Amino acid sequence: MDIKLSRQDQDFRQDVRQFFADNAYRAGEDYAEWRLEWFKKAAEKGGWDVPKWSPEFGGPGWTPTQHYIWEQETARATLPWDMPFGVGMVAPIIMAYGNKAQQERFLPDIRARRVNWCQGYSEPGAGSDLASLKTRAELSADGSHYVVNGTKIWTTAAHIADWIFCLTRTDDSGKKQEGITFLLFPMKQDGIEVKPIITLGGAHSVNTVYLTDVKVPVENRIGEQGKGWTYAKGLLQHERTGLAGLSRSLVALEGLRDNARRVPRGNSTLMDDPAFRAKTAELEIDLMAAEYTELRSLATAAAGAAPGPESSILKLKGTEIQQRIQKLTVEAGGIYSAAWGPKSVGNSFAKGGMAGYLASRAYTIYGGASEVQRDVVAKNVLGIKRSSR
Amino acid sequence: MNFELSEEQQLIQDSVARFVQENYGLEARVELAAKEPGFSTTHWQTMAELGWLALPFAEADGGFGGNQIDVMVIMEQFGKGLVLEPYLASIVMGGGALKRGAATALKEEILAGVIDGSYQLTLAYAEPQSRFDLHDVTTTARADGDSFVINGAKSMVLNASTASHIVVSARTGGGQVDESGISLFLLNADTDGLTREDFPTVDGLRASELAFKDVRIGADRLIGEVGKGYEILNATANDAILALAAEAVGAMEVLYKDTVAYTQEREQFGHPLSDFQVLQHRMVDMFMEYEQCKSMLYRATMEAAAGDPETAQRTIHALKHIVGKYGIFIGENAVQLHGGMGMTEELRVGHYFKRMLVIDSQFGNADYHLQKFAA
Repeated sequence: MDIKLSRQDQDFRQDVRQFFADNAYRAGEDYAEWRLEWFKKAAEKGGWDVPKWSPEFGGPGWTPTQHYIWEQETARATLPWDMPFGVGMVAPIIMAYGNKAQQERFLPDIRARRVNWCQGYSEPGAGSDLASLKTRAELSADGSHYVVNGTKIWTTAAHIADWIFCLTRTDDSGKKQEGITFLLFPMKQDGIEVKPIITLGGAHSVNTVYLTDVKVPVENRIGEQGKGWTYAKGLLQHERTGLAGLSRSLVALEGLRDNARRVPRGNSTLMDDPAFRAKTAELEIDLMAAEYTELRSLATAAAGAAPGPESSILKLKGTEIQQRIQKLTVEAGGIYSAAWGPKSVGNSFAKGGMAGYLASRAYTIYGGASEVQRDVVAKNVLGIKRSSR
Repeated sequence: MNFELSEEQQLIQDSVARFVQENYGLEARVELAAKEPGFSTTHWQTMAELGWLALPFAEADGGFGGNQIDVMVIMEQFGKGLVLEPYLASIVMGGGALKRGAATALKEEILAGVIDGSYQLTLAYAEPQSRFDLHDVTTTARADGDSFVINGAKSMVLNASTASHIVVSARTGGGQVDESGISLFLLNADTDGLTREDFPTVDGLRASELAFKDVRIGADRLIGEVGKGYEILNATANDAILALAAEAVGAMEVLYKDTVAYTQEREQFGHPLSDFQVLQHRMVDMFMEYEQCKSMLYRATMEAAAGDPETAQRTIHALKHIVGKYGIFIGENAVQLHGGMGMTEELRVGHYFKRMLVIDSQFGNADYHLQKFAA
């Protein structure tokens, strides 16, 4: 065991910082142009535009320590906006289970951020119990295409997406996990209706997507018919560590403390309030431990072993820490945390703090509700067999 | 000791419950909150006609001589529908300060209008730097002949955009955080030198930031004695805390009951969600904390009505602490157990949850009152 970074790792950190500094957005620049240019430059660094892709597909092939350094540095830098659905979610599935033609057709556009994707998984009747999904895909008589009918819900960015990757049911005669088929199709076509869902923070990011007789050519099917569940589960393993967002939480905690130092309390500030101080300290302690849980998990993965039991708690701990930071931000806002409407009132962070807190309540719901996550840990990690609920 | 409501209180409870049921479905509330003035003037008139606005005022002032228990009965029912009309601002806060401190002439001039709903009051007590301390006051009122000149700013003034009169705390002596030297004044809302910035709050209510520039006001508009306003302010804040806590308890009941109902309807993994023990236990916890808050509400309200300010003060700190803490606990878990649906504006729980957050931020949050209680 050794806590020091190697010479190479220190150089890498320096290299990353230099890259972010050299390519930072400058006021007045065309944002869209800068964004695409940024990813191009990152690609030229040897796969920095797709850090998690394997070298076979152009990824950088970093060590776990390098990934950790990258995460730390990106949490502080301003990167161009990027959605996880393309590079982070559908691409790994196409790489692992798609055929050569599909890889050549889809991956370049995903990598260049030319095409936006959304994820068609949840349905009104299939949330935590995703495998009970009912959107039907029927193969045409000549076997050339599927006809898709059903409803998807909580579809983030469906209103701006060009393509969707979608779990559909092609067979309901057996176990519910069987008979699910993984399809890709364009969003802008007849038979697809996108209806916004406004969430508690007042934002529109999720949607309901109605699919009526949508024709999908068979060449847009990933892998075999009826094996979609296996592919989707493979993805969940891939995104396991990404959801914890620990480096971002550390930066957010620093921001919270900065804000609290600007909140007057009598003749001092909120950061001088022992109770508030103690709460931020408690958060920092949990984060310090979680950071090393993540590092241990990365190290196990690097050694090529199956993920250790520690990796299973990362999403749970990480999202709960994020929620606590948001909640404390609302507390810091004090009387002003209630103010809403277009302008900020009283202090600059209060409104954003409330919106952030409300949005953060979804962190323990999406990607597998925390209750379900705990069930999974109990079963898979602790080995508890249950005979009843 | 007796926890039974009187016959009159029972009648009022039934009538408020009926009003809420008939007028405060989610859709109706959302519609009212979205457009000016943020509530229904028709409902406000109805409340006046039914005598609800008269309830906590002395008979000599044209009221029914009710106390904090009567207000609790109304506010708990209001909480079940998240009623938007400015009962808290006008009757409990502005009216509360007036009935405690104003001279007879001022009461005679104003309270009849408050009771018949033609006047609307509010209380401007918080300032940008004050956070939750009522005694942290930098707004000044300088004596000038037989009038005062007010300069400064007030924050998060509830329902100020529709108020006809505003009760303002200002410093006539002492240092920034001294309890002595604070005076209360009743200002006409259209007084020269008073400017407002109006905005909604996250729960759909309305508030304003106020600025005072050389606002001149007659000494006859003073509420209570010069420099002795803090006592009136604190007693009024205590009443407001009791009213808010009653509203919160009504809202908590909706949150936990809606959750119990939803988990019995919603099926996942081939079972209603309510079959899962982890969710059952969570709902039992929500229910337990709701009952605890209700008990503390009764305790604090009965002590306040019995007129023992010192005992009541400590219990009011305890009440605001647990209502803030468990209101948010129940709200967060109602959303969590509703899953994605809980995150939308389409169901009640999200709206009630937001109201819980705002209630915690008014008149001192859970932490603030825990510290006061422990001090």
